[in-house]
Amino acid sequence: MHTDESVNAYLTGNLLAGETYKYDPQDKHGPVLFLLAKPIAQLGGAKNFSDLTETQLRLTPVLVGSAMILLFGCAVEIFGFIACLTAALLFAIAPLPVYYSRYFIHETLFVAATFGLILSGWQTLKNNSLWFAALTGLCAALLLACKETAAIHFFALACGAFAAWFTTARKYFPAPKIIATSLMVFIATTILLFTWFGQNFGALADLFHAIPRVVARAGGEGHAKPFFYYFELLDPLFILSFLAAAGIYTAICDTVSGARKAALPLMIYAVAVALIYSAIPYKTPWLTLNLWLPFTLLCGLGVSAIVSAFNNKAGRWGAGIVGIFLLATLGAQTQELVFQKPADEKNLLAYAHTTPDILNLPAKLEEICRARKIVQPRIAVVMKDAWPLPWYLRKFSRVGFWPPGLETGDADFFITTTDAPTNLTARLENFRPEFFGVRPNVLLILWTPRPADKLP
Amino acid sequence: MKNLILLAATLLTATAFAEDMIPLKTDLPNPLMVGTPVPISIPKLEAKIKKFPDFQVPAGTVNLAKGKKVSSSDNDPVIGSLDLITDGDKEGDEGSWVELGSGKQWVQIDLANAATISAIVVWHYHSQERVYRDVVVQISDDPKFEKDVTTIYDNSSAGKDLPYIESYLGKLIDAKGAKGRYVRLSSAGNTTNKLNHYIEVEVFGKPAA
Repeated sequence: MHTDESVNAYLTGNLLAGETYKYDPQDKHGPVLFLLAKPIAQLGGAKNFSDLTETQLRLTPVLVGSAMILLFGCAVEIFGFIACLTAALLFAIAPLPVYYSRYFIHETLFVAATFGLILSGWQTLKNNSLWFAALTGLCAALLLACKETAAIHFFALACGAFAAWFTTARKYFPAPKIIATSLMVFIATTILLFTWFGQNFGALADLFHAIPRVVARAGGEGHAKPFFYYFELLDPLFILSFLAAAGIYTAICDTVSGARKAALPLMIYAVAVALIYSAIPYKTPWLTLNLWLPFTLLCGLGVSAIVSAFNNKAGRWGAGIVGIFLLATLGAQTQELVFQKPADEKNLLAYAHTTPDILNLPAKLEEICRARKIVQPRIAVVMKDAWPLPWYLRKFSRVGFWPPGLETGDADFFITTTDAPTNLTARLENFRPEFFGVRPNVLLILWTPRPADKLP
Repeated sequence: MKNLILLAATLLTATAFAEDMIPLKTDLPNPLMVGTPVPISIPKLEAKIKKFPDFQVPAGTVNLAKGKKVSSSDNDPVIGSLDLITDGDKEGDEGSWVELGSGKQWVQIDLANAATISAIVVWHYHSQERVYRDVVVQISDDPKFEKDVTTIYDNSSAGKDLPYIESYLGKLIDAKGAKGRYVRLSSAGNTTNKLNHYIEVEVFGKPAA
C-alpha cells in the first residue's frame, strides 16, 4: 500500500468503527472516496481498520474505473463510435489507467466524475433538460468532493464550453432555470457531502481554508517536476501522440465544416488541462490520469479519421492490424508494469511506492512473538512521519506512535528511523537492530530485545 | 637489574619478529547517493560510516582477489556477470554490478593459493540507501566450505555482527589473519528487493608462507 492509500485506509477504518467523517483541508481531499469505500468494505465483512484488506479497499477504484469504461458508451452520440471505442480500449488496456484504477486514492473517481460532468453538461446544453442540468450539478459536486483541484477542471471545461458557444453562432445558451437547477444541485450536494450529511458544518469553512494549502502545494513541496513530465507518462512509446495529433487535426476540420460540434471544446479542454497541470510544479504520476481522458478521446478522433480515410477493404484491414498490434503492445506493458513489477523502483508509475520489504516487518514481529511467547506485544513507533506503518501494524492491538524526543514508556519492540533519537540510546542497549525498507532510500529499524546468548 | 635486561631483550626480540604495519588503502568509488547524510544517534548502531575506517595491515599486503575467478550459488545472474566482482570497478552505476537471484545466495572467490587474510572490503550496492540481509563472510581451504571454515563476519540472526547501510565506502571486515584459499560471501536479499548484488570484493592479505 502506498502511503497515501494507507492514510485513506485509516480514514475509512474510522468510518467503519462508527466515527463521523470530518473534512481535513490538509491534503486529505474530499469525502467521495470514503463514501463509496465504506459500504464496499462493509460488504467484504470489515468492521474496523484492522479488519480491512487491500482487496476490500482497492475494489472501490476498480469498480469506478470499470464503470468509467462503460461510460464511453454514453459518449458515442457526442464523439462517434470509433472514437469512443478507441478511448474505452485505451482506458481498459493501457498501463496508466489500469495501474491507478487499483490504487486506493481519489484519482480514478475524480476522472470518472469529470467524464460524467462532460457528458451531462453536453446533454444539458443540447437538450435544455432539467434532469441533465441536475445531473451536471451532481457531477460537478462529486468532482469537488473528490479533490479540491476540481477548480482547474471547472475552468478548463468553461474554456471548452465558451469555444463551443462562440463557434456555433452563439445560439446555444442555457436557459436561466437550467443554470439555476445545476447550481442548486451543485450547492446542495456539496454541502451534504462535505458536512457528511449535516453532521459537520465547519467543513464548509474548511473548504475555503484548503485554498491556501492547495496553492502552497502547487509550488512543488518536494514533488516539483519538469514541464513535460506528464507527456512522458502519457505516451512513453511516442505512438499515441500521433493519433492525438490526428485527433486535433480532425477537431479543427470538424469545427470548420461544422460536422462534429464536440470536437473543438474537447480539444480546448485537453489543451487547457495539459497546460495548467504541466505549468504547476507539483506533479505526481497519478495526476496524469486527468490528461488521459481528453488525450484518449483525441486519439479516438484521430483513429476515427484514419479509418474514414481508408475507403477500401485492404486499407481498413491494414489499419485494424496496426491497431491490434498497438493494443497488444500496450497490454504487454500493462502486464509488466501493473501485474509483474507494480512496486519496482524503475516503474515510473510506482511513485514513492512502499517497498515490498515492509511486508516482512509484521511477519517478523509475529515470528518473534511466537518464538518468545509474547501474546500482545507492545510496539513503540518513534518517528516524525510513521505512514504507512499504521496500515502494516494494524493487526497488533498495542501499538503506540510517538514523535522523536518524547518518552514512550516500556515496550517489547521499538521501531525507529535510522536517525533514532538520542533519548532512546540507553533503552536500546540490549536490543538488536534490523532494517526494513519503507520506500526507495527510506529505511526503518525494528529493535528487538537480544536473546541472552547474543548480548555483547 | 637482571629482570630489566630480560624485559628489554624480550621486547627487542618481539619487535624483530613483528611485521611492519601500514594503513590499509583502497581506491573508493564516486558516491552516488545525493542528499545530506543523516547522523546516527545511537552509538551501538553500525549503520552509516562517514569515512573509510583506519585499519592497519602488515606491510606487503595486497588485494589478492583482483582478477581472480568467482563462482556462485547462482551461476546465471539476472544482470551482469560474476567477473565484475573482482574487476576493480567499484562504481555504483549499472554495468558495474552483478545481480544474483532472490533468497540466500553466495559468491566465492578462489585466491588461487592459500593466503593469510587481514581484511575484506565488500561493496554490494551503493546508488541507493539499502541494507543487505544475513551477510556472512567465511574463509576456508575447502572449496565446498564443509570443513575448516572460519567465519569472520555474520550479521544473520545466528551471528553477533550488526547489519549496516551500504555506502560507497564499502564494508571493511577484519579477517584477523585467517588462513585459506577460498573466500565465500553470502546474503539473503535486501531492504529494497529479494535480490543480491555485488559490485566488488577486495581480499587484502599475503600468500601463506
